[in-house]
Amino acid sequence: MSSTSQKHRDFVAEPMGEKPVGTLAGIGDVLGRKLEEKGFDKAYVVLGQFLVLRKDEELFREWLKETCGANAKQSRDCSGCLREWCDAFL
Amino acid sequence: MAELTDAELRKELLALGYRPGPITATTRKVYIKKLGCLRAEVAAARRSGRTAPPSPGRSSAGPPQSSRAAWDPAGDRKGLSSNTWWRRESEVTPSTQWGSSAAPMRLSSLFRRGKDDLASSVGKEAERDAGSRAGGLIRRFPWRAASDGGHGVTPRTALLRSAPRQQPEGKGKGLEYYLSQFLCLASLVLLLIFLGILVVKMVGCTPTVPVPPLMCVLVPVCALQFCQAKQKDVTMAVLQELYNYLSVQAGNFECGNPENLKSKCIWVSEAQDHVLNVTGTSTRKFKAALDWILNSNKDLGIRLKGRDMSEPVSSVEEVFCLESVHPQMGLGCRFRRAVVTAIMNLFLFFWSLITLWGILLYLRYRWRKMEEEEQAMYEMVKKIIAVVQDHYKEWERNLERYPYVGIFHVRDSLIPPQSRKKMKRVWERAVDFLASNESRIQTESHRVAGEDMLVWRWTQPSYLSDSEH
Repeated sequence: MSSTSQKHRDFVAEPMGEKPVGTLAGIGDVLGRKLEEKGFDKAYVVLGQFLVLRKDEELFREWLKETCGANAKQSRDCSGCLREWCDAFL
Repeated sequence: MAELTDAELRKELLALGYRPGPITATTRKVYIKKLGCLRAEVAAARRSGRTAPPSPGRSSAGPPQSSRAAWDPAGDRKGLSSNTWWRRESEVTPSTQWGSSAAPMRLSSLFRRGKDDLASSVGKEAERDAGSRAGGLIRRFPWRAASDGGHGVTPRTALLRSAPRQQPEGKGKGLEYYLSQFLCLASLVLLLIFLGILVVKMVGCTPTVPVPPLMCVLVPVCALQFCQAKQKDVTMAVLQELYNYLSVQAGNFECGNPENLKSKCIWVSEAQDHVLNVTGTSTRKFKAALDWILNSNKDLGIRLKGRDMSEPVSSVEEVFCLESVHPQMGLGCRFRRAVVTAIMNLFLFFWSLITLWGILLYLRYRWRKMEEEEQAMYEMVKKIIAVVQDHYKEWERNLERYPYVGIFHVRDSLIPPQSRKKMKRVWERAVDFLASNESRIQTESHRVAGEDMLVWRWTQPSYLSDSEH
């Protein structure tokens, strides 16, 4: 996908460390706040959820929609971002 | 669906060829949805296999099924390939064409991908393109299943939800439709009536002169007496003139009243003067004419009124004023009056139409409200059944003391305290529904924690009678 955003490129470029969940591609202020309320305050917690779903992007997108009400594009961006990060660093 | 434990859910997913990750609190819901989708897929594939599709379809339906069966005892590799296959399904739009050559190509691409290792198989662009160009019966049905599931609920719950809703919606819609059609028709009919009244009023008031028919009647009576005939002629002439004069005056009075007349009724003296001036007869003849009017039974178009307006006049002396029954009015005046009359007459009809329209809107609102309540009630019923069944299952595993659960306890666990008052009606309807329509839950009275209360007990049914499956 050539149409990755700057956010995506920034996230995938390096290990996520303690980055907050708002640095994930597709997760803006509103979604970030909703995720934090549910306890997913850091990007690595969301990564944990992605891994627990065995890196199934479809399921992860479903989960994201259920948890914070992300729309199709946002969830697609987020799952793609996490998948690429896993490919690079995991 | 709610009665599945984590282990059972995992087992079901594995049986359908999908390898789930850990089933935790956060992942449980998505896995349940996935289970629903997979089951729908299987059902759809089974249905497609049963109905005889055209040959290309059959050839593609056959091999993918067998290939899937071959994957079932698969290891991690195959499990992941089914993962990506599932992902690709949902990305493809429904409008992709499918051809007969697609099936073998698809299979080879899938097997090829199955051999790749985990990391590289995930991000394969080329495969995705190839797969999207390839068609196949299997892909079409998962989309359909996904669209059923994509509404956010499993097909079964969607069916459950839609089934009770159809009935009132259909009934309401039918009645609404007919009512609105009727109202349209009524409006059209009333418009036509309005125009009709207009036309009739305009044309209807041509001043008819009563003389010819009277003449026809008179002639045989006084044919012998020429003198009397002459007298009658004179009387007729007087009457004719009187009639014209009165109708003109009445017309003037009705149409704007340029002479500022007090009423349609003209004084006897005035009428007499005018008539005598015009015809040149004597007062005696005039009185004879009036007498004739009094004695005649026919409607001559002239009304005689006495001092007392309501009592009928019996003799010439009592006559006070004269009135024309057929006022002569100009065209514009008649048109104006016709319009006004028609509008007045139809005013009531329009009001009744508006009232009917208001009633229709109100009915629509009521129906919508009733449907919403029904939906809420069925939701509550579903939740209650799930709770009671779970409770029973837990009792079977010796986690609970009694096989029954108090009704109030269920209510308090399902409805948060702040909405208890609001949901009171829904709750009661749900309880009534369960008491009358649910055979698997028995309502009994037991002593729970020292208090006598009504309880619900799940009566263990066989697997088949569970509506959720």
